[in-house]
Amino acid sequence: MAVGNPGPADSGLRAAPSGHRTAERAIFWYGCNMTRHGEVIRATSRLLEAVGVEAAPRGGPASCCGSPKDANARINEGMARRTIEAFNATGRGTVVTWCPSCHMNMQDSMAPVTPTNFETVHVTEVLHARREALRPLLKRPIPARVLLHAHLGFDGRVPVNDLVPDLLRLVPGLDLVEHRCRVPGHMCSSLAAVPGALADAQRATLAAMAETGADTLCTIFHSCHRECVALEQNHPVRVVNWVHLLAWSAGWEAEDGYKAMRNAADPRAALGEALVDAAGEVPFTRLVEPELRKPPAI
Amino acid sequence: MSLADHIRAESARLAALCTACGDCVSACPMTPYAPGVAEAGPAAVAAGLRDVLLAGPGTPAARAWIAACTRSGVCTPACREGIDPAFMLRLATWRAKGALGDGPLIAVKEDTQFSPKVKAFARVTLTEKEQREWL
Repeated sequence: MAVGNPGPADSGLRAAPSGHRTAERAIFWYGCNMTRHGEVIRATSRLLEAVGVEAAPRGGPASCCGSPKDANARINEGMARRTIEAFNATGRGTVVTWCPSCHMNMQDSMAPVTPTNFETVHVTEVLHARREALRPLLKRPIPARVLLHAHLGFDGRVPVNDLVPDLLRLVPGLDLVEHRCRVPGHMCSSLAAVPGALADAQRATLAAMAETGADTLCTIFHSCHRECVALEQNHPVRVVNWVHLLAWSAGWEAEDGYKAMRNAADPRAALGEALVDAAGEVPFTRLVEPELRKPPAI
Repeated sequence: MSLADHIRAESARLAALCTACGDCVSACPMTPYAPGVAEAGPAAVAAGLRDVLLAGPGTPAARAWIAACTRSGVCTPACREGIDPAFMLRLATWRAKGALGDGPLIAVKEDTQFSPKVKAFARVTLTEKEQREWL
């Protein structure tokens, strides 16, 4: 496989199943920052199971792609190698990714350096290829006029800006609007690191919602969701993730826990003493609470 | 092969193929956030990128462009040589951050609390069983 290029488009779990068979075993590599969104990990695993893929969730610092240490190739490589070796040891032949950074890093820098015993596919490719298995599950109408929060990046690698809308079209009652708005970057976290870029992208997104009459913004990735849910504080919009919409249509419990924390007037009170204790008083005060109290970009 | 070797080898390979025409710079939606790029012009910025790939210091405008890269990826289909400028930017970002042991050429914003924060959120949103099995 050429470095920097996606793999074949018709292999393994990217293809629709040829008939009834036992569940295929895979790893659901959800990444690091997805730990903010436990219900999304759970619902995604359940969606994968519904299409015949038994995918063991793996993520967090022990399964890191190494990118948090981009300034040191030796450390980056060590983290990435540990992750690949752990995945190889499971004997599972497919790693289903969620995070576009993890996905691209696996293809661009991890697999070329450390041999892999698995193929890497994105979760949207798997669910899209097997979407007919989802159709009978998605019975509950979700009345919403939805704009997809779409980035320019990653779509050239995996066409998420087409795959996710196709999945959303399975949801009864959901009206997906069309708009040309594609904000820069591959996720909002990349924009947040460039002064002014995230605010500009969010203004463009809200303008697209106003232009199309959308009442709901549907994020694809976790870092976009993290940044966009705070729009609800100052603007009359609803922000959801595509997995929330599919889960709700299936009748599954999938409350957006991060949004509830992020938009609470008092995050500490919203979480309650037990969860603050679970995080640890010092980690909560120093690491969790500052993020939850950060003012919205616009 | 080490990651450092991979970065060096791919940098050299792509720098040799790049003609510094500047089409990648012209296509980039992030240039408004990169001071000096408009004044320098696309070809000069691309030449500066190529210099960074060859272990040089680049130019101020090229370094600003590298720092502003958010992986939009539109540079790759814009490349008349078909050589994946998005990956060139990725390689240049590693080099400019000092990943190979040289001094950094751009500001490095590393979150030293990244892993503890990920774990703290996990303790809030995942059950103890999920933490044991999924982390």
